[in-house]
Amino acid sequence: MTPLQQYLALAGALFFIGAWGILARRNLIMIIMCVELMLNAINISLVAFSNYSPTGNGRGEVFVFVIFALAAAEAAIGLAVAIAMYRLREKLAVDELDEMKG
Amino acid sequence: MPQSTQIFFILLAFFTLFSALCVVLFRSLIYSALSMIGSFLGVAGIYILLHAELVAAAQVLIYVGAISVLVIFAIMLTRQRSGDISLFFHKQAWVALPPVIVAAIVVVAVLATAGYNATTEMQNPVDEEIAALLFNEYTFPFELVSLALLVAVMGAILLAKREKKE
Repeated sequence: MTPLQQYLALAGALFFIGAWGILARRNLIMIIMCVELMLNAINISLVAFSNYSPTGNGRGEVFVFVIFALAAAEAAIGLAVAIAMYRLREKLAVDELDEMKG
Repeated sequence: MPQSTQIFFILLAFFTLFSALCVVLFRSLIYSALSMIGSFLGVAGIYILLHAELVAAAQVLIYVGAISVLVIFAIMLTRQRSGDISLFFHKQAWVALPPVIVAAIVVVAVLATAGYNATTEMQNPVDEEIAALLFNEYTFPFELVSLALLVAVMGAILLAKREKKE
């Protein structure tokens, strides 16, 4: 296993732990935390590819900075939605929030 | 990869994955948030091993500093009934596990057979070059992202603001 594959394996493992969390947990805040874990996995793979790319010009790191900013935006919006939902319904379990079911 | 880097990588990888598993498995949300901080710190160490010191610093500032605090504040503001916190390990967790494991096996198989034989390490450039890239070649995406962040923060304030009583 080459070093690049080791980093990619770590990223894949982290990604699927996050995916399992999203599917298994029902709390909205918990789901947002697992999304952050998955974004971290993506960032690891981008930095690893940037480090081992034949041209080696660090463009992967620029992607990572963009993802950082968008992850912060996503967390802010998601947690605001969670707080608004809690204020409205006093619950955060995603399978109990079925007001829009037809 | 030199021997010392290999040892550090294995330690950091186990720490990161263990913390990530703790995030999913802890019953209490606040314990999950704390292990999420641990996982973020492990990822920052991985960035340092990959010669991306600027990204590691940004990881500590943004994820460990900002996003974790945001999550902990949200947990504090939505204090839940005790029944809600332990909504865990019903059937749902066990139904979710097999598809995830199958997907993970597929990804690992693809990774193991792909031709990533880049054994020579073309190191990530130093921070000055990243800054030059960010502010010369990628100025427009950079500004666009700052605009998106501004809009998102304004939207978050609007959403979380308490409604005025009539």
